[in-house]
Parts: sequence; C-alpha cells; structure tokens
Amino acid sequence: MSTHPLVELAQRLVPAHVVSGDVESSDGRLDALRREGLREFVRMGIPTTRHEEWKYTNLFPFIGLDYSYAPVRWSERAASTDARTSMTEVASALGQHISIRIVDGVVEANLTNVPDGVDILELTSDIVENDKDVARTLGSGAPIGSHPFVALNTALLESGIVIRLRKGVQCELPIHLSVETTANASTLIAPRLLIIAEEGAEADIIHSSHTSGGATVLDVTVVEASIAATAHIRYYKIADDSDASRSISSVTADVHRDATFTSHALSIGGRFVRNDLAIRLCEPSSQGFLYGVSLLAQSEYTDNHTVVDHMVPHCHSEELYKGIYDGSSTGVFNGKIYVRPQAQKTTAYQSNHTLLLSSKAQVQAKPQLEIWADDVKCSHGATMGQVDDEAIFYFRSRGIDEATAKALLTYAFVSEVAEKISLEGLRELVMRRIARRLSAESILA
Amino acid sequence: MTPLLQITNLHASIEDREILKGIDLTVNAGEVHAIMGPNGSGKSTLASVLAGREDYSVTEGSVLFNGKELMELSPEERSREGLFLAFQYPVEIPGVSTANFVKTAVNESRKHRGQEPLEPAAFLALMRERMALVEMDPSFLQRSLNEGFSGGEKKRNEIFQMAMLDPVLAVLDETDSGLDIDALRIVASGVNALRRADNATIVITHYQRLLDHIVPDYVHVLWNGRIVKSGDKSLALELEQRGYDWLKQEAAVEA
Repeated sequence: MSTHPLVELAQRLVPAHVVSGDVESSDGRLDALRREGLREFVRMGIPTTRHEEWKYTNLFPFIGLDYSYAPVRWSERAASTDARTSMTEVASALGQHISIRIVDGVVEANLTNVPDGVDILELTSDIVENDKDVARTLGSGAPIGSHPFVALNTALLESGIVIRLRKGVQCELPIHLSVETTANASTLIAPRLLIIAEEGAEADIIHSSHTSGGATVLDVTVVEASIAATAHIRYYKIADDSDASRSISSVTADVHRDATFTSHALSIGGRFVRNDLAIRLCEPSSQGFLYGVSLLAQSEYTDNHTVVDHMVPHCHSEELYKGIYDGSSTGVFNGKIYVRPQAQKTTAYQSNHTLLLSSKAQVQAKPQLEIWADDVKCSHGATMGQVDDEAIFYFRSRGIDEATAKALLTYAFVSEVAEKISLEGLRELVMRRIARRLSAESILA
Repeated sequence: MTPLLQITNLHASIEDREILKGIDLTVNAGEVHAIMGPNGSGKSTLASVLAGREDYSVTEGSVLFNGKELMELSPEERSREGLFLAFQYPVEIPGVSTANFVKTAVNESRKHRGQEPLEPAAFLALMRERMALVEMDPSFLQRSLNEGFSGGEKKRNEIFQMAMLDPVLAVLDETDSGLDIDALRIVASGVNALRRADNATIVITHYQRLLDHIVPDYVHVLWNGRIVKSGDKSLALELEQRGYDWLKQEAAVEA
C-alpha cells in the first residue's frame, strides 16, 4: 500500500534525529513527544468513514492535496497592521484586547499591553525542559494515540504558544488568537496552544481563523488547557472563514477544584470544520460549560465531537449545541458524557437541537452517555425538525410575511446559545453575523 | 353602505372532506356577531378559512372584505388589510419577545398603509396603555411570546395584540375556552373597549357565558357546515336552555 501524501509529508518534515531517538543528539521531552506523534500518525494514518469517530467526516476531497507546510515561528518584528477584513471585524468587536496573530505561520504577538501576571510565551524545547507547568500540560490532555490529527500536530511541533495566567490574575483584556493564512498554494498549518491558568486566574480567549488567497488551507490545531482551582477560562472558537479553509481542531481542558472551563464553538461559516472538545472534570466542584452554534449553508460541513468526563464527585456540566442547516450542508454532533463510578452527585445536562431549512441538508446527532455512578442527575435531549408551520402561520396572521417569519424564528432558535457569550462586544458581533446570514437584521433594529 | 364582510355560498374542504357547505353571512361596521354551534359544526374552520390557513381549500363561493376578495390575499395581506384572528390555541414562540413580535407586526401594517415606523418611546407607551386594557403586566413584554404563559395569559395577550393592530374586523375563535370567570371578564372588557362604529367583531363560541359579557347584535347557529338559524341575543339564551338537538332536527326536516 502506498503511503498517504500527508503521512509522507510528516515523515519528511520530522528530522532524522527525532525519528531515531538517538540519545546523543536528542533534545529531550519535546523530541520524545514529536517522535510519539509521528509514530502514532503513521500507525493510524488518515481516518476513513469506516472509523466510528470519523463516520460522517469526509476528508477525501481535500486530504490528499499536495500541501506545503508553513511551520509556526516567532517573529522578532512587531505585529503588522495589514489585517484581513474578517479578522478586523472580530478585533474591533473585542475593543481593547491582547492580540496574538499567526500570519502564514509567523507569530506576531503584540505584547505591549499585556498586564502583569499574564505571560505569553513561545513554546520552545527549553521551556518544555525547564518549566514544570508547561512540561506537565504539554501532551497531557491531547489524545495523541487516538486522534490522527492530534498525532500529526504533535509530530510537527517545533514551536507554539503558551498563555499563562499567574495566580489570582483576572485578565480584563480579552486575548485574541488570530490565525491568518494568505496562501496561493495548498498549505498545512499546525498551531499548538497551551493555556495554563493558575489558581484563581480568569480570562477570555478568542480563537479565530481567517483565510485569504484562493488555495486550500488545512489548519490542524491542538489546544491544551490546564485550569487550576478556582480559575475560570472562557474559550471561544470562531469559524467564520472563507471557502478555502479546512479546520480540524482538538481542545482538551483539565478542570480542577471549583474551577470552570466554558467553551463556545461558533461556526457561522466554513467549508469544513471539525471540532473535538474534551473536558475532564478532575477535582470536586469543577464545572464545564459547552456551547455550540452551527449555522451552515451550501455544502458546508461542521462536526462537533465533545466529551465530558466526570471523574470525581460533585461536578457539573452543561452542554447546549444548536444547528441550523440550509442548502446541502451537513452537521454532526457527537456528545459523550462519562460519569465514572466514584463520581457521585454529578449533574450533567446535554441538549442538541437542529433546524433543517432545506430538504437536502443533513444532520447526524449522537448523544452517548455512559453513567457508572448511581446518585447522579443526568439528562440529554436531541431534537431535529423544521421551522414550525403553526408558528409561521401565527406570524403571518399578524401581518408578518413568511420569509421574515422564518428568519425571525430561526434567529430566535439559535440566539439562545449566542446569548451565553458573556463578552458583550463579541456577543453582539456573533448575533449580528447570525442575523445577517439569516436576513433577519430587522430583529436587531 | 358596503358591508364590511360579505360571505356568499362559501364551501371549504380539508383533505377532500367538505367542512363548510355553503355559508352566507353579512357583517356591517359597528356590529358584533356570535357564531355558535356544537363541536365539529365548522366554527373553527370558518375562522381558519377567513384568516387564510392553507390546510383548507375553498372550493366555491366568495368572501368580500371591504369590497376586496379575501381569498385572493395571503394571510399577512389579510392582516394588513385589517383582519385579525384571535387564536383558540395561541402558539408559543421561544426566543421572540412579545415586544419584538408586536413591534414587527405593527410596523408591517404601518408600512402597508404608507406610515413610518413608530418611534421606540411612543411605541412603548402605546404598548403599556394597551396592555392595561387586559390587565397585563408590562413584564410580559420582555418574555418570549406566549412561552410558559397560562391559558388566561395567552388569551389576554391575543386581545392585547388585537388592541395594538386595531383591526377592522376581529374574529375571536373560542377565546373563552380555558378561561376562568375572572379572566373571561377581563378579556371581554378588553374586547368591548375596542368596539367602535367603524369596526366589527365575530365571536365564535361554544357557550353562552361569553355573550353575557360581549353582547352580540346577531347570533348564528352553525351546524353541519351551514348556518341553520340566525337571531338576536335571545337565541343564545334559548340554546343554553334547550341545547342544539332541536335545531339539528329542524335543519334535518328542512333539508
């Protein structure tokens, strides 16, 4: 069997000394991790639809392209200002914020306004060797052995970004990670982000991608977060990108005592988006909130795979994903909840609701609850349907035409999730984008 | 004077089953008509056909509303022309606030009449004033339309919307169903407050008790898709005492 071009690319990109693991030349933990990543990627290869976790994910149309790799490197120069429109829109919605841009792989962090106690660092082999928090977090959550693209990202890991919030620091400025790619040839990028929140720290982290130029960009991102006791991290992943983008991301978060991790997967446009999110509630009274909006048209595809692992007693999780699928788009929701035998007094709620606006749109929804403890409150609900005819008639009988009625009802359906965004500027932007896409702007007037 | 509503030989079916079998009814400005009848006689079908519900097909006859053929208009056009249907079962709309819904509806009607949208402050004042008619608390404005409302609150909300849209002809479809006596009184007094010489109301009901509060000029009995008897308000009282059976027998003999 011939080797898949992407596997071949990875093999070519990982230096020989890393592959061989020769102790003399090895530079330690980072190389060991890369070696593991490459080994696992080669072992697993490209997943096909025969693989349960990739059953509806059709990678075939783009995965075999001849990609060139744009490695992540830190730039000495200050952040440039020639921003893409979609990126500017997010940036201006956030108001004053901390900006980290990865432009064609080159990291341009504007660190002038970073407050004390917030560290934005380059992930280097040095830091992996010398910083125990970084060493502990890197590779701890990401499923290198089971997710082929996490393995790929790990194999290619030379540099990345560490956001560390020191003990008790409330970072009032939102932190915006903007991944911008301008390729004219098919390009692979593989950003890696570590979020380390020390005790009592708090921050909003926004992650958006912006592709310009006509060529396909395959973005394989891995985010690993470690949330210490009483820390609160809100992470927003915005997919509102051009048709050229293909995004596969894996986010994992370990949440400790009395801490929360809140995730918003906001897919308002994107040809192909696959989000894997795993939250481990690893100390009592930790909480996970998982929200998702998928608003798709044409032949767009968004796939959310989520896992909440209740490992200990007294933890709480809440999950709400809503999808609106028009054209011949496809949405996938796969939501796992594990409640381990010792995790008594767990409360875990999951719901997933879908509106299909066209007869050619599709949805695949799969709630998966495995509950091994007996004193728990868990629920899940999944619905799919069309806009209610009776509701449309009610609107029409009050003088509101059918198209407006549909738009308003659809907007109302999805706004329930968007309203969970606590950053006001971002919430307004998302609502505005949704309204614009549904031609329901009048409701915002 | 042109009648406000003139229904002539109206036939309507659902899934090839004929429900209305030749209705004739004339309603003039300033009048209140009550339509009564046993279950399944076609009362709610008549309301639905007037409002333009697409499940029904009109197979024969005509309905002139202010001289225009109603059946040629879409449901939203009928509303903008001044027809209002108060639903028997108002629909719950999560995520759309009562205020936003009413604002959108009123502005559609205003646009139709060539008027500018109302200023927000004036609009709010108007909403508060009209809510008071049916003793609705202003806090309902920010709540999702009808979501979690009690039966009585939903019906009061219907009359509030009617007051905001200020229709020429209101059709109240079993507005009394599910109401306790206090709610009935509140709803009825709201409807009465909106009565004018230039508008009209059709009250569809099963029971006479609503007509103690909204006193009709005419009462019609619908049975088996036809109006089998018309009279004044005393007919409603007679029905209350004697039931519908005697009328069914009379109608059967005539047929």
